[in-house]
Amino acid sequence: MRDVMTICNYCGCGCGVYLKVHNNTVIGSYPSRHHPISRGNLCSKGWHLHEFVHSSNRLTQPLLRKSGSLTPVSWEEALDYTAKALLTAKEQTGADSIGILSSAKCTNEENYLLQKLARAGLGTNNIDHCARL
Amino acid sequence: MLDLNEMILPKDNLTPLLRKLAKDARLIAPIKNSYGDTLFTVIDDIDKAAIDLENQPQASLKPYLLPQQETLATYRNTEGGYIFAEADEEPESIYFGVRSCDLTAVLYTDLVFSRPVKDSSYFKRRNKSLLITIGCNHPFSNCFCEASNSGPYLEYGYDLQFIDLGDAYFVSAGRRKGLDLLEKWLYFFRAVTDSDREKRYQLQLEVRGKFTQNIQVSQVCQLLQDHEVDDSIWRKLSGRCYDCGGCAYVCPTCTCFSVDDAAIDENHGLRLRSWDACTSSGFTRMTGGHNPVDRRTDALKRRFLHKLKYDYAEHGKPSCTGCGRCVDICFGGVDITTFISLAAKGETV
Amino acid sequence: MTNSIGELQGADVLLVTGSNTTETHPQIARNILEGVDRGAKLIVIDPRKTELARQAHVHLALRPGTDIALVNGIMRSIIDENLADDLFISMRTEQYEKLRDYLFRLNLDEIAAITGIGLSTIRKAAKIYARSSNAVICYCLGVTQHTCGTDNVQAVANLAMLTGNIEKAYGGVDPLRGQNNVQGACDMAALPAVLPGYQGLDNIDARRRFQQVWNCDIPQTPGLSLTEMTHSGAEGDIRAMYIMGENPVLSDPHLKRVETTLKQLDFLAVSDIFLTETAALAHVVFPAASFAEKGGTITNSERRVQLCRKAIPPIGKCRADGHIIMELGRRLNCPGMDFTSNAEIMEEISLLTPIYGGMHYDRLEENWGLQWPCWNRDHPGTKFLHKHNFTRGKGQFTITRHREPAETVETKYPFTLVTGRGSYHHYHTATMTRNSRRLVREYPEALLEINEKDSRALQLQPGEPVEVHSRRGSVRVKTVVTDRVQPGTVFTSFHFWEVPINQLTVDAMDSRSKCPEFKVCSVNIKKVSHA
Repeated sequence: MRDVMTICNYCGCGCGVYLKVHNNTVIGSYPSRHHPISRGNLCSKGWHLHEFVHSSNRLTQPLLRKSGSLTPVSWEEALDYTAKALLTAKEQTGADSIGILSSAKCTNEENYLLQKLARAGLGTNNIDHCARL
Repeated sequence: MLDLNEMILPKDNLTPLLRKLAKDARLIAPIKNSYGDTLFTVIDDIDKAAIDLENQPQASLKPYLLPQQETLATYRNTEGGYIFAEADEEPESIYFGVRSCDLTAVLYTDLVFSRPVKDSSYFKRRNKSLLITIGCNHPFSNCFCEASNSGPYLEYGYDLQFIDLGDAYFVSAGRRKGLDLLEKWLYFFRAVTDSDREKRYQLQLEVRGKFTQNIQVSQVCQLLQDHEVDDSIWRKLSGRCYDCGGCAYVCPTCTCFSVDDAAIDENHGLRLRSWDACTSSGFTRMTGGHNPVDRRTDALKRRFLHKLKYDYAEHGKPSCTGCGRCVDICFGGVDITTFISLAAKGETV
Repeated sequence: MTNSIGELQGADVLLVTGSNTTETHPQIARNILEGVDRGAKLIVIDPRKTELARQAHVHLALRPGTDIALVNGIMRSIIDENLADDLFISMRTEQYEKLRDYLFRLNLDEIAAITGIGLSTIRKAAKIYARSSNAVICYCLGVTQHTCGTDNVQAVANLAMLTGNIEKAYGGVDPLRGQNNVQGACDMAALPAVLPGYQGLDNIDARRRFQQVWNCDIPQTPGLSLTEMTHSGAEGDIRAMYIMGENPVLSDPHLKRVETTLKQLDFLAVSDIFLTETAALAHVVFPAASFAEKGGTITNSERRVQLCRKAIPPIGKCRADGHIIMELGRRLNCPGMDFTSNAEIMEEISLLTPIYGGMHYDRLEENWGLQWPCWNRDHPGTKFLHKHNFTRGKGQFTITRHREPAETVETKYPFTLVTGRGSYHHYHTATMTRNSRRLVREYPEALLEINEKDSRALQLQPGEPVEVHSRRGSVRVKTVVTDRVQPGTVFTSFHFWEVPINQLTVDAMDSRSKCPEFKVCSVNIKKVSHA
């Protein structure tokens, strides 16, 4: 069993939490005693933080809508299709016809990359996330 | 009770001894990590492990002996019906640096999982564990093991008990496994002298005066035997309980669990056992929606009375070992010591 | 937050407004209660009797949507009692006299009538707040999710400046951020009108710097906000969308319009860890790695940038969002999409974002991260903001006037519906929490909080489901009788897809912040007929 220090994925408090890992499975969440926010305890969500990671409802492969229904495809196919669709939109209806929603659940690096993709790659400032909701 | 066998381990011999032990079994000891937290950790390389006997491990042995989530069995749905398989075997494990309060908690857990039948999943791990305790010469700020009769030194229950004499450890064997270990590695040890015994006795006297918490555990346990606690106390406490379950999860003697089945896919799944907390409203809610325990007023009542009243009546000892882990972590500031002080002030009828 | 979370317990007075802190920010509530146990006074402004309100010395249970009137009333009482901090006002602020004159024109009895709170209670709160030398105001979406949200925030800022409760360790104004990285997403400019670090799109120096590092032009016109995109409708300007880890079909106001917009898009790609209601509408769905399967940094409510660490490899064929974006970026010929580590991305962020200037992975690994602004490698980070001056120089008082919410109760819709997060156990659209066994057990279904008086009038049995109607739609939901809500007000959460309460909410929003008015909507409640 290993303890991996990370930050809780729920609220804006930002607790320091150890994920307990056994055979590549997260089997527990435990608060850090010395972390300035968690100070030895988590809320009910934090204590059960590990439970959704291995949920059988997780998406595990890329899906592409084919004749109406979402069908498993390879990463290459899903990425190529998406890139092509975004380029088509840009060419036909203009960059500002594309909207990007980023995520308050993703990391700073990912948010930075996505706004860079919007501004530098697609040429639009149509990027936002759920800060207001 | 086995004959007590007492030896002295010079401190220079500790690492060589642990190195040998780690060859025969999985060695687990408190390690201070780079974030400043001390956690029981599996030692892969004894030369790189910073074993920390100065600070209290922030978790007891519970995450190992009764993991937060364990697989009891796996199931597979085949044409011939369901096939069940028990979870994997556990390795032999030696736990070094266990605190007296946590060892006392293991003894209590042993009892809980022995009656009415032995819990095979728990004893699968427990039977393969060897527990080496370290007597506390310096109680931590929230500790009150002496008041709850669980330390700082122990008289029984351990496989081996280490007491730090300064330049050496006073080692006592409590149970067979410990004695076997002593005999096997006898050449690391020397015999005990009268001055070693005197030193140990002096340390034991000193540590008794070092507790900063004055928690009247046994007085309150006595009081609860024939007095009801005033409802206003329960209301006061429950009104500030935010149902996080933290006190139960960090508690070394809390053994509440739930069993769930979790699908892996259509035909595979796991039967999981995971920590639960009696303070959670869902813990007692019945299928039809009725809940015999009203969370608002009774959440903490059940928890505290179980530890301090019913277990005291049954075992002559509360099932709070005074480890202090739940103290100061409660979001509402209503941990067990708050209750004990309120109850001790005589707010009972 | 201008303060750090740990500083809250040192304050003498804690004023919490529009925040159900114990349920939504448990660790912050913990600090607040620790402060109370040390003798601090607690004032709670909330239409609901939340757990924290029950612990308060003064609970101002205002009529939903009347925050400005209440804060104006408090400020007037402070001036009447001669408790304003004149020294702070003269040294650090401007345009005070205008506000003071306005406040003197107010009729306090009218304010009591508008807010539904007695004058003596308002005065009591005012005295407690203004007499302390260290007072903190914490606010959350109960303040911002109104058509007058920006003014609500300005009113709160006026109050703090009036008493000089800013720029110190145990005093300040602290918006509590909801999601784990909502602060970081804003810092990184996942926003339509700024570049990373809140640098304006029209800031010539910043633009030049970005264009140099990114090696391309950057569009200058501000983009559309989230609700403008998701409400653009079938004939709207938005034709294609890429949505990463959000579920607007459940979270946005006036859901039918959102669904219409998304269904009519020429192309929709969604990246998420579960097949959310939004992902189900997409043309392409990317399986994203969860937080446990990737590294990176996130920024908490107190501006602390912290490292997350990968615990396990991505399950199945999942990939981290950063990985997916770079793969797309390469296909779209986006320059600079070839980072090989998160540390390398952070290096570019530090280069372009002054407030993150000193955020380097080797430093973040120590000392539990760093709080921005952190200007360079030697800078220790910042525990509290606005020491010695405000971002804009002097703090400006601005008059804020009460105005009624977009929708007020009337005969046909006599109840006020307030929405928000409904329990300790769930989170936002519950995509994560409803995949957590224990959390589902603890709070299995949506509940409408209703006062006993209303429940009796409707002749409801305990737990009996009702139909809630607004001008825009209706949902069926079980009720729970509680004194948390006042008569005439009902509350429910938006966690459960079975009860898509945002089909009812108004899509009116604050014209400046674009924040929807989730906190006030007029509804009718009908007993479900036994057919």
